[in-house]
This record gives sequence, structure tokens and C-alpha cells, in this order.
Amino acid sequence: MPRIGTTTLLLLLPVLMPRIGAADDSAVSAEGARFFEAKVRPLLVDQCLKCHGPEKQKGGLRLDSRGGILTGGDTGPAIVPGKPDESLLVAAIRQVEDGPKMPPSKKLPSNQIDTLAEWVKMGAPWPGSKDVAPATGGTRKGEFKITDKDRQHWAFRPIKRPDAPKFTDQADVVNPIDAFVLSGLVAKGLRPNPPATRQELIRRATYDLTGLPPTPQDVDAFLADASPKAYEELIDRLLASPRYGEKWGRHWLDLVRFAETNSYERDSAKPSAWRYRDYVIRSLNADKPYDRFVREHLAGDELADRDVESITATGFFRLGIWDDEPSDREQAQFDALDDLVATTSQVFLGMTVDCARCHDHKLDPIAQKDYYRLVSFFRNVTPYRNGGPTDEVPFIEPGHEKEAAEQTMALEQRREQIRKSITGLESEFRKRNGSDESEGRRPDIEELRYRFYRDTWERLPDFAAIKFEEAGELPGGLFDLAKRSRDDAFGFVFEGVLLVPKSGEYRFHLDSDDGSRLSVGGKPVVVHDGIHGEGNEQTGTVRLSEGRVPIRLEYFQRGNGLGLSVAWSGPGFDRRALSAPHRSQRTKADLSEVIRKDGARVLGAERFERYQVLRKQLRELTDQKAVPGSILAVSEPGRVAPDTFVLIRGNAHIPGDKVEPGFLQVLGAPDPKIPAPSDEAKTSGRRRVLADWIASPENPLTARVIANRIFQHHFGRGLVRSPNNFGLQGDAPTHPELLDWLASELIAQGWHMKPLHRLIMTSNAYRMSSRANPEAQAKDPTNDSLWRFDMRRLTAEEIRDSILAANGTLNLKMYGPGVYPEIPAEVMAGQSVPGQGWGKSPPEEQARRSIYVHVKRSLLLPMLESFDLAETDRPSPVRFSTTQPTQSLAMLNSTFLNAQASLLADRLRREAGDEPRAQVRLALRLVTGREPTEGELARGLDLIATMTSREMMKPEAALRAFCLIALNLNEFLYLN
Amino acid sequence: MTQSQSGGERPAGSFCGRTRREFLWQAGGGFTGLGLVDLLSRDRFFGGTARAADAVTRSANPLAPKLPQFAAKAKSVIFLFMYGGPSHMDTFDYKPKLYELDGKTIAVKTFGRGGKKNEGRVVGPKWKFKPYGQCGKMVSDLFPNLATCVDDIAFLHSMTADSPIHGSAMLQMNTGKILSGSPCLGAWANYGLGSENENLPGFVVMLDPTGGPISGAKNWSSGYMPASYQGTILRSAGVPVLDLKRPEAMSEEAQRRLIDTLNAYNADHHATRPDNSNLAARIASYEMAFSMQRHAPEAVDLASESPETQSLYGLDEDKTRDFGRRCLLARRLVERGVRFVQLYAGGAHNDSNWDAHGDLEQNHTYHAGRTDKPIAGLLKDLKRRGLLDETLVVWGGEFGRQPTAEYAKGTGRDHNAYGFTMWMAGGGIKGGVSVGETDEIGGAAISDRFHVKHLHATVLHQLGLDPERLSYFYNGLDQKLVGVEGAEPIKQIMA
Repeated sequence: MPRIGTTTLLLLLPVLMPRIGAADDSAVSAEGARFFEAKVRPLLVDQCLKCHGPEKQKGGLRLDSRGGILTGGDTGPAIVPGKPDESLLVAAIRQVEDGPKMPPSKKLPSNQIDTLAEWVKMGAPWPGSKDVAPATGGTRKGEFKITDKDRQHWAFRPIKRPDAPKFTDQADVVNPIDAFVLSGLVAKGLRPNPPATRQELIRRATYDLTGLPPTPQDVDAFLADASPKAYEELIDRLLASPRYGEKWGRHWLDLVRFAETNSYERDSAKPSAWRYRDYVIRSLNADKPYDRFVREHLAGDELADRDVESITATGFFRLGIWDDEPSDREQAQFDALDDLVATTSQVFLGMTVDCARCHDHKLDPIAQKDYYRLVSFFRNVTPYRNGGPTDEVPFIEPGHEKEAAEQTMALEQRREQIRKSITGLESEFRKRNGSDESEGRRPDIEELRYRFYRDTWERLPDFAAIKFEEAGELPGGLFDLAKRSRDDAFGFVFEGVLLVPKSGEYRFHLDSDDGSRLSVGGKPVVVHDGIHGEGNEQTGTVRLSEGRVPIRLEYFQRGNGLGLSVAWSGPGFDRRALSAPHRSQRTKADLSEVIRKDGARVLGAERFERYQVLRKQLRELTDQKAVPGSILAVSEPGRVAPDTFVLIRGNAHIPGDKVEPGFLQVLGAPDPKIPAPSDEAKTSGRRRVLADWIASPENPLTARVIANRIFQHHFGRGLVRSPNNFGLQGDAPTHPELLDWLASELIAQGWHMKPLHRLIMTSNAYRMSSRANPEAQAKDPTNDSLWRFDMRRLTAEEIRDSILAANGTLNLKMYGPGVYPEIPAEVMAGQSVPGQGWGKSPPEEQARRSIYVHVKRSLLLPMLESFDLAETDRPSPVRFSTTQPTQSLAMLNSTFLNAQASLLADRLRREAGDEPRAQVRLALRLVTGREPTEGELARGLDLIATMTSREMMKPEAALRAFCLIALNLNEFLYLN
Repeated sequence: MTQSQSGGERPAGSFCGRTRREFLWQAGGGFTGLGLVDLLSRDRFFGGTARAADAVTRSANPLAPKLPQFAAKAKSVIFLFMYGGPSHMDTFDYKPKLYELDGKTIAVKTFGRGGKKNEGRVVGPKWKFKPYGQCGKMVSDLFPNLATCVDDIAFLHSMTADSPIHGSAMLQMNTGKILSGSPCLGAWANYGLGSENENLPGFVVMLDPTGGPISGAKNWSSGYMPASYQGTILRSAGVPVLDLKRPEAMSEEAQRRLIDTLNAYNADHHATRPDNSNLAARIASYEMAFSMQRHAPEAVDLASESPETQSLYGLDEDKTRDFGRRCLLARRLVERGVRFVQLYAGGAHNDSNWDAHGDLEQNHTYHAGRTDKPIAGLLKDLKRRGLLDETLVVWGGEFGRQPTAEYAKGTGRDHNAYGFTMWMAGGGIKGGVSVGETDEIGGAAISDRFHVKHLHATVLHQLGLDPERLSYFYNGLDQKLVGVEGAEPIKQIMA
């Protein structure tokens, strides 16, 4: 942690120091008492006590007694009597860099700072004050305790399958769901609503399972189907439809903050994020057991039977927002971990564990320590870098592993071939040119590239985690600082391939101003880190085999002079430079420069051109990947995870106690034992342990949380209305027994979700009408007891997809990279570079389902956003359903809607012929799913006639106008 | 490691639990002033309340005008966002010592996009300062027009922010948080007070012609609140709001007929579900959309403004026409009850905004030159119309700039979040005052240090909203613009 300076250490020291037993009253000298009363007390009162006194104790600190000062606040004792330079309070008022600065609004005059320092030096005399701290406000000082009452909270108790209530009259009870609902209704003196019509039912069920309207043919067939099993068969057919995964996948994507870009200034695209989306759709369509789904998400790379699917699931870790240039890197790393804890705990456990990042949870029995125990499971996850080997795994289609290996080999062979040709031409050049070894020698390093960074460090940073400013090639094959854009506060990473002439022992020499590190074959050989000048050359020896070995040099320069000198020696040759000489000494050009200058003359035009073409080909081949596709995935750098500490007040720079991975204490599970990872393992194995605990049928939260979500998306709201918060302050379930029954049923069904859908949808409760009943409405206006089915507006995606479905242009192609429907230029104008990051898709691709629209965090499709798309940056358990005139403007005036209306008109002419009555009838059938009444037909015909006669529209235009109205109907946008 | 800065500031002493249950607003009206529910209940369209997406939670219309929590000083806010970060020591923060030090390398702690440094070459201020007004405020030659308004302005010279990097700093100036995903100041105002004009959005953003700021829509997002509260982009020419214009072939009468037909269908449908207020709200939303189409263009039509007024804003000069036009629009919008107007001076990247990394003189001459007269015109015009009293004008960027040079050569200054200047005028703010100070070279705030959240608290306070009480229930707790730790408004500048 290069940026933690002495101040931070100072802050930490007092925590570890034994309490100084201090002076009681009698020990205060008269002089000390006078000094305190005359100078110190007034100062404390004036400057400090407003925030650190009896009223407020910011940071848990009280400065109105000696005891309070000695006890200190969150960061430990405020002073060490006698030692002002070790006292946190003094450091704070001195406002040293990187430390807390007090008072926050200003710096005290220097005489006041001196006064306090002097007082501490005197031993902090405070006449009449005890060394015992008075109680601070709030509950923080009280020890964190989990009470029996906490453990008895409904969501923390084990799931027990309740018996369904028995009813003598079974007419309203199709399955146990109805029994639980009915018993609630009876208790309130209510009756369930009568059933919905079959026509309402097919529309409701089709939208709920596919997000699309039933076709008129579907409706006709269902209405005509007299079989008593017709409805059950409908449900089975819909559950088997691939559209099911697209509809329910979207619910899941809301939860896992799915987006395909990083937000912030560049909002750059994440690599292959769409594969995660496809994984979700495929998993749901396959009815993958939910416990498996959870395990794949959290530890898909650590499972014994891992495969492409399970690796793809771990893209979950990479979907969050990411600031590529945070102002505080350490803090940003913990912000990223917080995103994982928040998402994991809310989505899988329905707990807001993230509220305990800075202090014990104020509402739930979750200690701050619990939070960091959870962080600890993720602590070894490589920080996100937006691509590269730590975020991406080559995508090899199952069964094509051999092919992929062959491709890799073939690519390498091709590269080698080109290299040989280049070397041949270079030798020839040297021969013809009569160059000496030092001028035209083939460089020892090939394919050398650099990345240039700007920042200030005291030691080498983790360059991979930092955004580079510029990158390029060094065809001369020598490490060189010449590409820097300034002389201080910068860094370089060089990477290339070292050509080892024969196997043997090699010595590397490294000198630099400031720090550097040379790695060969992936292992550090010479490390010369820290701030220093040149003149203290470091060396290292390593055995290398003949051939091509990766070489990497990291370098940084803080200020005042710079320099870099690298060389090697080995069997058959003495010291030879690997770095460019300082500019002043540079006299001879390297081979590539010489060839560039004289190549045409020496080699002849044709061969020189060939040389250049080969160089270009090699460059391209170096960039090319053998396997073109990649998977966005989690990774860990090794088997040993770094330590995790509680961070005081969530501050990454103030570590507290060390913690080990652990589960939420209130749930009473024993502390986990992390099995020692095998020698082949690439990870710590911690996430696997967490995944097993979450995906266990014993976990009281997991099954309840997902059962509630399934219920929620059928009934428009969960049995628990705060689906991500099952804690003490979340909403209690309206039907606790039903929830437990559904949860245990889900487990009993092997965690398959489709059987639960089937159960819910075949219940009477689901099949009730949504119509009003004044009596029931008076008794239960919010329908808590489920006396009726609630109407709902279609979601943003359902509206857009339904419009496309109505006019027959919906493209049902599944999977693949996101598509880019056209976005109006006016909206693009809001970007700093209008149009950036938004591609162009052909019309048929633009007509794909909304779930395949590229999700760019700072540029959402206006049509979807206006109808309440989920917030992309955090887990989003419930969609809003707003009604605003901007929606109406878009539905009437937007280019999109008018184009779609026009396509609908085309369809009507195509399928209903030229007769307006047939056209209107078909249009209304398509948007409402039912046969229109005479009045409705007449109204449509009247509009078309009026538009033609009074507004002088051509018949085609009049029909388009009617189509626009059809797509605007409330009946189209709302489900009964 | 300043503790009030890092992302997770939540002192143990403060209570981050919710004090009251904030029901999700999920139904009801749109961004227009008189919210739908309110409007409809007046029309006896339906009685009672709207219903949330979970079909259970009862809620009122989000944008119905609400009474402030206490007497408001300001009805509207115009935030002149100087994107890129203007240099305080070259504009309003007079640092005589800096001239002498020009070219000298001195020890000074800075933190910008080029990282943390301990020393640097001073770039002396490139403009002269002169005293202006009754208060004698020193203002640089960059702002000869605006300088004549100093007696109406309160300068905050000791602003600080958590990040000296555009991406996170922009988000913080707009949303209070350096992390993406939270509602911005304008959305909070919209949420707290609703809007007063049914034909215009309550929160309007006007962009620079060169483009939006970095992170685009994240800067006017409603974050975890419903989209109803987010900023609406208003264009200063052509069709002001997206989709406001009817398709070419559609006359107003024809569209009226369409809506009438639609209403007839929807009324039939509603009759089968008379208890569902959302259906009624959606019917009414078409009427509101129709009305907006008729009336909103008038708000952006400057033809009725006298030549004298147009000239006051600099509409008669090429240099100032664009920003002047937007300033004049801002006045017309607040006149018509728009709650929050944000105007970006500068857009896109590099020197298209105040981000003077290269040639400071060229950059600031350009950006001050095109905004000085328009802003002065706005303040004067608001004042003579009696609007300044109820309109809070805020000026500033996401941070300031360093006293030292960024590169070995040239005058470019890197970013500086340790200390910078913003100013406010009108809306119950005292004129002719300056509070807070940076050190003698403008490197960092040293007295009366204010954080972005104090600025936000002040804006909310002037609007009659208590920053500590204006909260939105989300993710298990009452979220506030000023964060769980809270922040007090800046009392020193209140009239």
C-alpha cells in the first residue's frame, strides 16, 4: 500500500498501545490545571465539542472529559499523554496529509495547535476529570448482541413445510396455495373473486410466462378447446417455450444489475457480457435447479464439474459499475467488493448486509464483522480490469476443445514462420549492408510493447489495475523511456519476447531511477523497487531454455532525474544492453530504424516491401487470438487469499481486526472450514464454500427469497413486498405459511422452478378475475389477502416487444451480442461524444426482443427507459410503473411508434385485405387478444372515414393513424 | 484518508436507519406541474389514490406540487455548470502572491489527473484583478460584465470535493456521490417540491452545442428514484423536447381526432375497471401531452423578447449568442414555473470545456468570453423583473485548478478538488459577500472549508427543504442527497 504514509501508521499505533494509566485529580499540578483552564478548555469548547461533546459524538469520539479523550473514538485513543507526535488528535488538528483533518471546515491557528500539543506533552492534565469515558450516544458502544428475539424473526427460522388448511367445501381449493389463501380470506370475511374469463386467462398466462401476447390463433384454439386439461396444457406449452427464459431471464437480470458497460466517463463496453445474459436465458429454459444456478453464479469456476456454462455464470462478478480512474484506488477496491456483498446478500439472501459496511447494522442483527466475513469470501477475486486474462476466459464451445488447441498451435506456427522470414531478410540486409554487430544485430527482444502511465508512486504499483495513458510498440527491441510524455510522476510496463540463444544460465543487470522490476519467463529476476537514484546496479541469475521467453519490465519515476539501464550476459556472450542508451549517448540506430531508412536501397524495392508486409502481418498475428470468443468471468490470482480486516467506518485506509470467512451469525451456522485447495487449484476455494451454504436447503433465506420472487412476478407483488429485504424492517409476509410452503415445495421439487410456476398458475388464486368487488375493496383495499388478481401494466420490454409482435416484425432470433435499435440524435446529443458506444444494427436485428438490446449504462433506449426500465447500477427487485405525459408523447409522435404503426398497417392489408372493416377487426384482435364489439369496429371505421374525408388523408395514411391508436390502447398496455 | 471523504463515510454516531417508512412512489403523474392525480381529482375523474406497481402500495402522484417543508426563499434554481473545472485563481479567487511566484518551482501538495505531487512550477494568474461594486470584490479581467454584479453574489472560495477526476467529480457535483447510480440534485428538487407548470418538465437540462458532459445521462439521472424525476433535455432551438413534435403529416386537428377516438376506446375499457386509477391517469396523460405540444414551444420562442433584452444576454454577438440564448431560455423557464434548470457551459472533451490542461489563456479566454455577458445579463434581467429574489443562481464546475503547471512547459493547470470557488446569487442569498479562503496560492481551502454536500444542503434549504429530512426510502434506509452523515447549509451567505 504505497500511499499509506506515516500518518496512517500513526493512526493505527494507538490502537495497539497499552492504555496509559493516568493521573487522577491529585496528580494534576497547579501549573497544569492553570494551563488547562486558561487555554485548553476554552479551545475544546469553542472548536470541538459541537461535534464531539454531549450532543453529538461524530466518529464515536467525545472530547469533554479526559476519559473520553483517552478512550477515543472509532480510530482509537485520541491522545497518548506525553507524546503529541503519536497522538491522533494532534495529527488531526495539524491536518497532516492523508489523515483526518479537524476541524473539518478550517485549520486552527498555529498558536492553538501548539497549545493542544503542549497540553498533550504535559500529560494532558485535566483537573477534576475522571479517566473513565462517559457513555456516548447511540448504540455503537454497546456490544453487538444477537438476541433470541432476533433469532426468532420469521425469515431466520428454519423452513418447515406447513400443512395446508383443510376445507370442507373444496370448490375454491385446487391446490394447497388456494387453501392458504382461502383461510386468510375467510378470516377477514371475504370470498375469492370469480374466475377470469378464458380469454383473459390466456392473455394473462401468456404474458406472465413469455412476455408476449398470445396470437389470435392461440386464443381461438384455447377458447375452442373443451378439454378439462386445456388450461394445464396451455401452461405446459408456455413453460416449454424458449420465450419463457427471455421473459424470466429479464427479471433475473434486473436483480444482478446486468449491464454491458462500466458507467463513468468512458462507459466502455465490458467484454462479452452478453454471454452471461444468454447463460441466464438458457439456464431458465432448461429449468436448471436453482441451487445449481446459485453455485454456478458464485463459484462456477470452483466446481468439480465446471464447464463453459458454469464459468459463464461467474460473469456475475463482473457486471457492476467500474470507475477506471478512481480518486482513491484502495477505497475503490472495497467499493467493488461492496458491490459484490450487496448484490450477493440482497439477491440470494434477501438481506441488506451492505448496510453493515461502516458500522453494525442499525436495524438487523448483522455485525460489521459479519459484513467483512462475507467480504473475506470475495477478497481474493481479482479486481476488475475490463478485459484481459483476469476477466476473460477463451470461449471454447463444448466438444471443440481439441479444435481450439489445434488453432492455438496453428497460429503459433504461423507466427514463427513469419518471424523466420523476417529474420532471413534482416540477415540479408546486414550482409549486404556490411553492418557491424552493434548496428544491425537482430534485437534480443521481439514484439516489445510498452504501456505508459501517469501517477505518483513510492513503490511499483499494480499496473494492471491502472488505466494506461498510451501504448505502443518498440520495434527496436530495447527498453526505452523515450515515449514518456513528461519527466516525472510516470511509469512504464514493457512486455516482449526474449530470444534465448541456447539453454543455460543467464545474468540480468538492472539499474534505474526510481524503481523497477524485471521478470523473465513470468518470474521476477531482478527487483529494484523504491525511490532511488542510479548507480546501484542489481543483478539476478536465472536458468533459461533455448527459445522464446516472455520478458517484462516495470518501471516508475517519481521526480528528480530518471534513468534505466538493463543488460544481460550468458553462455557465449558478455554483457549486452537490453535498454536504449541515454539519449546523449545514442549514436547508432537500431536495426529496424536502419532498415526503415536504407531497406529499399539495400534490399531492393520488392524485398523491402515484402519485409514491411511481413512486419505488419506479425503485428496483426500477435494481436490475434487463437480462439476468438471470450467469456466474461471471475478469477483469482492464486490459492492464498490476502487477509481481510474490518475497516473502521468502512475506510479502506483504517484496518481494524482481522477476520476469517464466515456466515451471518444470526443464522447460527457454524463457522466454515475452507478446505485446502488442491495443487492444481487456481483459486482459494472460498466462494465454493459460500455458494454451498447459500444453496443449501438448510439455509432459511435462500428458498424463501426465490419462492417469493416467483410469486412476485406472477401476482405483481411478492408475499413479502420487499423482495430484497427479509430483515427485521422488511415487510412481513402477508401469507407466511404459504411462503414457507412454496419454499419447501421448491426444495422438494429438486429446486426446479417450472413445477412451482405450474402450481402457482394452476391455482384458483391465480385464475381469479381482476374485477372490482365493492365489499371486498372496502375491507381490503390493497388486496393484501388476495381476494382478486391485480391488474398490471406491461413492463417496458413487454410493451416494445408486443408492438413488434402486433405488426408481425418481431424477430425471435435468440442469443448473441447485443443489438442497437436506433436512438434519436437528440438523445445521443447528451453524450460527450454523440453516438459513441452505440452501434448500428440492420432493421431485422433492431426488431429483436428487448432483452437482446445492448445495455449501455449511460445511454438507455428512450422507449424502454421511459416505461421504467430497471436501474442498472444496483440490484433492482421491483420495477416502477409510472404514468407520464412523456410516455404519451413518445407513443404518439416518436419515429419508432409511427414506423411500427405503419408496419402494422402493412400487415393488416396483407392479412385482412383492402376492406377497412376486416382491417380494423384484425388490428383490434392483435392488440387486445379478443374479438372487438360492433361499437369498437364502428369507432375505428369512423375514424378512418373521418381522417379520409375531413383531414384529407389518403386511405393508407388513415389506416396508419388508426394503427397508431390501436398501439396506444390501455387495453393493449394493461393486463386483466 | 480524510474521513469525511472516502466512499463509505458513516460515522458510528449518526443514525443511518430510517426514521419513517417512505413508500415507493410508483404510480401517478408525470413530470408536468400539476400532477395527474391532482388534476384528475379536481376533474372528478376518479377519487382516491393511485396504485403502485406492486398493486398494493398506495401513493400520491410524484410530481404534484408539494409544499416546502418550511418557508422557501427560492422557487427555482438555475445551475450554471462550468463543466471541466474553471481556474479559481484566474477568475474570482484573487491571489496576489501567485504573480510573483510565476515560473518558480515551489513545494505544494497537489492531486489531479496526473496524480499526487509535492512540488510544481507556479503558473502566475494570467489576468489582472480589479475591485468592483460596493463590496470591492476583486474579479479578474475574464469577467468584465459579470464583475458588475458582484454586489448580488456570494462567493464560496473554500469549496472541496472528494475527487479530482472528471468522471467521479461530475457525479458528485450532480448527485453527491462519487459512485454511479444516485439521483441528482435536480431530481431531488423535483421529488421534494414537484413542478408548477404542467406543460414543461420540472427539471430541465440544456447542453453545450459541442456535446454532453462525460458520463452523459448519468449527470441528470434520477438514480434509484422513478424516471419521473430525471432531467429532461431541452434544446434551445428546434423542437425543445424529445417527441414533442407531431409527425409531419399529422395536423393538430387530426391528432385531436385521434386522441378523441383513443379516449373513447379507453373510456370503455376503464368502465370495466372503474377502480383502477392508473387507467384514468393514462387517459389524462394524453391530454397533458397534447397540451404540452401546444404550449411548450412558446417557452422556447424568443421572438417576444425585446431587442434590448436579447442584447443584454449577448444574442447580438456571435461569441455569446449560444450561451446567451440558453441563459435567456433559463429565465423564461423559471418564469413559467420550471423548478430546476441546469445549463452546461462547455461539453464533450478537452478544450471544448473549461478543462485547461494545455493553454490556460486560450481556454479560459474562450469559455469566459462566451459566458460572461450572458450570465451578467441573466442576473440583471432576473433582478429587474423581480425574479432574482425567488431564483437561486449557482455557478461553478466539478472542481477548480492547481496553482502550478501540469507539464514542464506551458500554462495548463491540472484539476484541483482541495479548494475551488463557486458562487450563488438570488434566492435568499446575501450579495457582496465572500466566505472561505484558500491558502495564499489557491492550492487548498484553509478556512470555512465547504464540501459539495454543503452546497447541496444550501440549495435544498433555499428551496424550503430540510437536507437532513428530505429522504427517499431505498435499499433498506432513508437515503439523503447529503448522505447519512448529513450536512448543514451554508448559513454565512444567507440573507
